[in-house]
Formats: sequence, structure tokens, C-alpha cells
Amino acid sequence: MTHLRRSQIKSRPHYAVRRAAARTLAYGILLVWCLLSLYPMGLMVVNSFKSDDEMHINPAGLPVEWTWQSYESIFRYHGGLWRNFVVSAVVTVSATVISVFLSAMAAFAFAKYHFKGRELIFALLLATMMVPPEITIPGLYLVFARLRWLNTLQALILPATTSVLGLFLIRQYMLEIPDALIEAARIDGAGHLQVFWKIMVPTSIPVLGAFSILRFMGVWNQYLWPALAVAKRELQPIMVVLPQLVDPKIGFLPVWGTIMAGCTLSVLPILVVFIAFQDTFISSVVIGAVKE
Amino acid sequence: MAEARGVQLARKPKGARWSGRLADRLAPYLFISPFLVAFVGLFLGPALYALVVSFFKYKGYGTLEWVGLSNYSVTLQYGVFWQEMLNVAFYWVAHTIPMMAIAFLLAVVVSSSLVKHKKVFKPVIYMPQLVAGVASALLFKNFFGTNYGILNTMLGVPIPWLEDMNLARWAVVIMLVWRSVGYWFVIYLAGLTSISEEVMDAATVDGVSAWQRLTRITVPLMRNSFLFSFVIDAVVTLRMYAEPNILGGKAGAVCPVGMAPVLNTLVLNMQAGRFGQAAAVGWLIFLFVAVVSFVQYRVLGGRRREG
Repeated sequence: MTHLRRSQIKSRPHYAVRRAAARTLAYGILLVWCLLSLYPMGLMVVNSFKSDDEMHINPAGLPVEWTWQSYESIFRYHGGLWRNFVVSAVVTVSATVISVFLSAMAAFAFAKYHFKGRELIFALLLATMMVPPEITIPGLYLVFARLRWLNTLQALILPATTSVLGLFLIRQYMLEIPDALIEAARIDGAGHLQVFWKIMVPTSIPVLGAFSILRFMGVWNQYLWPALAVAKRELQPIMVVLPQLVDPKIGFLPVWGTIMAGCTLSVLPILVVFIAFQDTFISSVVIGAVKE
Repeated sequence: MAEARGVQLARKPKGARWSGRLADRLAPYLFISPFLVAFVGLFLGPALYALVVSFFKYKGYGTLEWVGLSNYSVTLQYGVFWQEMLNVAFYWVAHTIPMMAIAFLLAVVVSSSLVKHKKVFKPVIYMPQLVAGVASALLFKNFFGTNYGILNTMLGVPIPWLEDMNLARWAVVIMLVWRSVGYWFVIYLAGLTSISEEVMDAATVDGVSAWQRLTRITVPLMRNSFLFSFVIDAVVTLRMYAEPNILGGKAGAVCPVGMAPVLNTLVLNMQAGRFGQAAAVGWLIFLFVAVVSFVQYRVLGGRRREG
């Protein structure tokens, strides 16, 4: 059947010529966009190897002098930016771990138990998905101020630990896990927690991984709440600090070399995860988009 | 068969080992309670607290003074708020349309049989998504800078890309397109691969040209995906904050009103200690999101499962 079709198509006049032209056009389009999307990132890396001074005269070309100076200044000057990277890392990792853990436990209950109020609670949670999180910011700020938690790590971590999207995604996945598996474990004498740890978590690894990636990116990249909740420079995550980097002597003038080094370092962890878990990464994008 | 039996047992737990005991009945509540506590304490609670505060005048300390709906009416009569809404609407329309067009074109090209190295192109096209909003705003701030900017240095001109608001808004749009194409490319590609090959093969054999296949079969089938991205992006743009402010503001300060997103009114009110006012702005933004979601539901309702 296919054979017949192929031959029918291929016997049309100028088939080879037209196909070659179409292929050239297709590759042309792809190459142009790939260059456009890589150019700013490439420039970011190249510019991170220039000094702040060279960035003033030569922002566009290759470095006249390749130097690690900008990376050095991240660790030495501007109050030691490495601390802000550590803050970002601590906040992102803890928020991601807590968030995945809370979502997975709740998802287990919603997927595999029958209890009073299940449908109602789940429906109410889903309904809040369209509420923009920014709406909570004035309230959160007042509560955290009352608790004297502004300018603390928990102010950065805690608000990032609840994700109804995560609960939803993980529950969808767990619904597909056969009940027989759980039943067998029960008969073998496994308790509730053991079923969760030994069966649900290991079988849900794909969705847990995908959601971890979504959460990690989201927390690592957040800006507005951390900028409001933490005024102390040494406790601010790197994303809040990067835009504030100015010449220590003149003020207001951005130190572009240092900023580009900071940007490069800020993309690095995400890039490593992306390269290591490319397929999970891409699938996290697709499953994350089903929010309705 | 085994699965069906399992469902039975789960539904009628009388015969199962877990039934009856108090601990067993409590278990599901114990599993959901950490999530619920966090959710109520850190999302629902603060959101409702903000709703209450939005009817008061409150400086963050001292007493709450009941002002009824005046925080809302003041915001709705505030010119800056509407200018920012206008900016957001502009960002939405101006970036979503080219973004969708480019993302779809790339998805069609990559999914076609013409292209071989799909494994290379897919991640490369997605890659700008890996750069945080803050970092990409800084890249483009450097690119469009007036005095030491990359573009002006290459052209040898001093065009105030980020100071002239008419240009600056386009700079934001260019950055948004650059950053978001990869995301929708991946989504559209997933949608395209779900279109049946049989349909396409049959059409090909019937002499339907590639262009007609694209416009008559693929585009109509992808209609819901397009609407979905158009609407979702309205919400994303309403919630935007970092990008325009970093691009147009000086060293961590907010950008001029001419290019500001609507969240700036919320943030500036908070920083001025007008918490009631800030909370009202937040809930007004929610109302807009709700309207957008309602429209999406009406337009897409019932046909959603296709895409």
C-alpha cells in the first residue's frame, strides 16, 4: 500500500527538483531561527570573558583580551555575589523538594483513596489554579512582616512550596497505576507509608522528575516576591541582585562584564539539567501546558 | 481483570486488610493535610487576607480603616493603571501573533519529512527558554543600550532604544518573542505529531498539495492549540513584571510608566505603604484573568480534548 503511494507521488513531474527546493527552504528557515535564538546566548558567554571596562568600548565583538576578571569580580567584589548564588541554590532546592513531596503525598490520597470530601476539596483546589499568585503578595507580605519573617530564607522558600499544578499532574499519573499493585503490597503487609514510598514514588518517577524540573526552573527564576520580601543584599537570590550591579565608584552605570558572567552562571545549572535530562525536560513542558 | 478487581476493592474496602481501623480511615487525610496546610497558609489565606484588606485603608501597622470600595474606584480612575493595562494589551497582541506564527512555522518544518536532524533542532530552538526572564532582560538591555549598547555600537548611532517609549515597548516585544517561541514550538510540535499520518497520506495520494494539506488540514486541526496559546499568553502578560522593568529601569528600579506592566501599580502601592490599594489592584488583575478564562472556556468549551 505504502509502496504504491510512494511510487505514485514520486512519479509526479519535477518531484525531485521541488523536493530539493523545499528541503533547502526548510533548512534555511531552521538555520536562521537557530542563529537568532543562539546569538544572544552566545554573546552573553563571550561578553562574560571581557572586563567591565572593555564592555564599554567593545560590547559587540570578540574580546580583545579574554579574561576571567568578570568571574573573579563575582566572587570578590559587589559584596561577594557567590553568596547570592548559594541563597538561590538553597532556596530552589528546598522549595522544589518540599513542593514535590507535598504534592506527591496529596496526589496519592486523591488518586487512590476514597474519603469524604475528596471530590469537593479537589475541585476547589483546581478552581484556584486560575488565580494569579501575585494576588497573594500584599497578604503574604503583611503576614510575613507580622511574623518577622521578612529578610529570612523561609520567606523565600515557603511561598514556593505549594503547587496545585503539581498535585494535578502527579494525581493524573498515579490514577494510571494499577490498584492491583497496591493491593498486592497490602496483602504482603505493607502500611500506608510503605505503599507510598515503595510503590507510588518509584512508579511515578517520570512525572515527579518532570514536575521537579518545572518547579526548579520556576523558583530559580522568580523575581518579584524575592525582590519585595528580602531587602538585605546578602540574602537576596541571584536574580534579584543581577539587575542591581552597578559601578561601585560612579554608581548607576551597569557593570556589563560582571553582569554577563552572572547571567552565564545563572543559566548554567538549568543548562546542565537540560542536557542531562533532555527528554524529561521537553515532556515537562508539554505536560505542564495542560493546566486548565 | 486484575485492575478491575483492584478498583472494586478500593471502592468497597470492607474486605481489604486496611479497612475498619481508625488509622486506615485517617490515612488519606494525613496524606493531604501537609499540602492543605501549606496551601491555606501560604496561598489561600494570604489571598483572602488581601481581599479583606482591599476594603480598608491600611499602612501595614496601626489600625485598619474601612473604606468600602474606594480602593477599587480609585484604582479604576487612576490614569497610570490604564496606561499600564494598555501597555500589557500591546505586549500581548504584539508579541503573541509573531510568536505563534514563528513557533508554528518551525514546528511544521521540524515535523516534516524534509528535515533530518530533528534531535539537534528541537533543543536548540527551545534553548532561550532556559534563560531566566531577568537574565534575558539584561541581555537585551545590554543589546539595546543607548551609550554602550551592542546594537548602537555596531550601527555607530546613538538611538535611544530604551528611553523612547515607542521604541522601548518594541524592545520588550522582541525580547518576549525571542524567549517564548521555543516554548510554543514544543507545544505545537506535540500537537502536530498527534495528527494522524493516515489522513496526511490519504490526502497526498489524492493529489492534495503540501500547501493545501497545511492550510486545509493541519491549521484547522491546530485551531484549538492556537486559541489556547493566545489566551494563556494574555494571562502570562498580565502577570509579567521583571522583563519590562529590568529592560527600562535603572539598576533594579522600576521602568517609566510608558512601558510599565500593570503589576507596577500593585508594587508601588505596597512600597508606599498603601496595602489596601495594592490588594485591590491584585484582585482587579484577578478579575481580568477571570474574564479572559471565561472567554477561553466559552470559545474552547466542549472541544478541548482534541488539541
